Amino acid sequence: MSEIIVVTSGKGGVGKTTTTANLGAGLASLGHKVVLVDADIGLRNLDVVLGLENRIVYDLTDVTEGHCRLRQALIKDKRYEGLFLLPAAQTKDKTAVSPEQMKKLCADLAQEFEYVIIDCPAGIEQGFRNAIAGAQKAIVVTTPEVAAVRDADRVIGLLEAAELRNPALIINRIRPKMVRHGDMMGIEDIIDILAVDLLGVVPEDEMVVISTNRGETVVSDERSRSGQAYRNIVRRIKGEAVPMMSLDDSGFLGRLRRIIGLK
Amino acid sequence: MFCGEQIIRCICGERLALAPEIKNGPRELWVRKVRRPKEIEEMIDDNTILVRRTLRSGQKIHFDGNVVVVGDVNPGAEIVASGHVIVLGTLRGVVHAGASGDEQAAVLAFRLQPTQLRIANHITRPPDDELTGPEQPEIARIKENMVTIEVFQSSDRLGNLI
Repeated sequence: MSEIIVVTSGKGGVGKTTTTANLGAGLASLGHKVVLVDADIGLRNLDVVLGLENRIVYDLTDVTEGHCRLRQALIKDKRYEGLFLLPAAQTKDKTAVSPEQMKKLCADLAQEFEYVIIDCPAGIEQGFRNAIAGAQKAIVVTTPEVAAVRDADRVIGLLEAAELRNPALIINRIRPKMVRHGDMMGIEDIIDILAVDLLGVVPEDEMVVISTNRGETVVSDERSRSGQAYRNIVRRIKGEAVPMMSLDDSGFLGRLRRIIGLK
Repeated sequence: MFCGEQIIRCICGERLALAPEIKNGPRELWVRKVRRPKEIEEMIDDNTILVRRTLRSGQKIHFDGNVVVVGDVNPGAEIVASGHVIVLGTLRGVVHAGASGDEQAAVLAFRLQPTQLRIANHITRPPDDELTGPEQPEIARIKENMVTIEVFQSSDRLGNLI
């Protein structure tokens, strides 16, 4: 039984693409067959984040327009066995695909893969509607900023209207120190507003920037906090009950815990 | 100078299937009809377009002929030409020369660092661990059924090379 999951946020720059790449890599590293679909037509990024840009010959619109077979457009990841990418077109725009075509595409992919993860474009226009058309589940990514939470709330409403109920929430780029000082929205504040299930919290981490620029994923980095957070999220997607990791990394005890692996 | 030079003004036809951004630019071309000595005739190719700007991500040029770009071709941009592609700048995007099957087509750039390079029905990409770009103009073409990239020597006459 395969799952078709869309990763969305409403607001841009909150980490949809990074999240998609890391969830895909994380699931693939556990031996699952995963395909990542870049639905951001005209402004694709997922291929760059995965370091696969130079392998693209055919893209999503070539498949929907019948220029090639689905198999031909799938790009195999260079690190993870079982991870594939269906890239978006860069020289076309969102109108090149219809929600019906996306539905069919997702259904076709679900025949072959255990997980189909769709990277949604920012915004709530046709690109968004295309991306969610074929999905069975939704993950909403937000950052602890008022504007991002507002947009997430709007998107959750739209998802519910599209019969995608109970989306799971990922809070990205949280800075525990700022939350403690009352300078940033905390997890509880965000849950309070959005009233959805929390799938995970990813702390702000320089390693994300470093690995993304290298075309790698942070989920495979055993030492990074964000990598740990993504690994936990991956296990929760698989249905395991994983306790939320402590974000309190300051102080001697916290650091000691991290070193001996008691997170 | 050639004598009897005659200038005809014509409207650029549908032959130019350019990206919309370019299509909206000046549509009129000046085409020179030149009466010229016979030995020069075979050196002249009037099926070339000149792109005088940097091509950015998402912009695409599709042309049945040769394409010359005075500027860079950025990652995410694409040039597809049935003939040669010459970039007077850095080529970082995707380029396809000889797109209708011409194995004699070549790609020449001041800095040849394409995301992907295609000539006729060959597709190549740089190795994943390549970090440094070229320091001099290079030319890519098919030799012995393989895409080869060589330093472009200015002493090589362009006419012989491509």
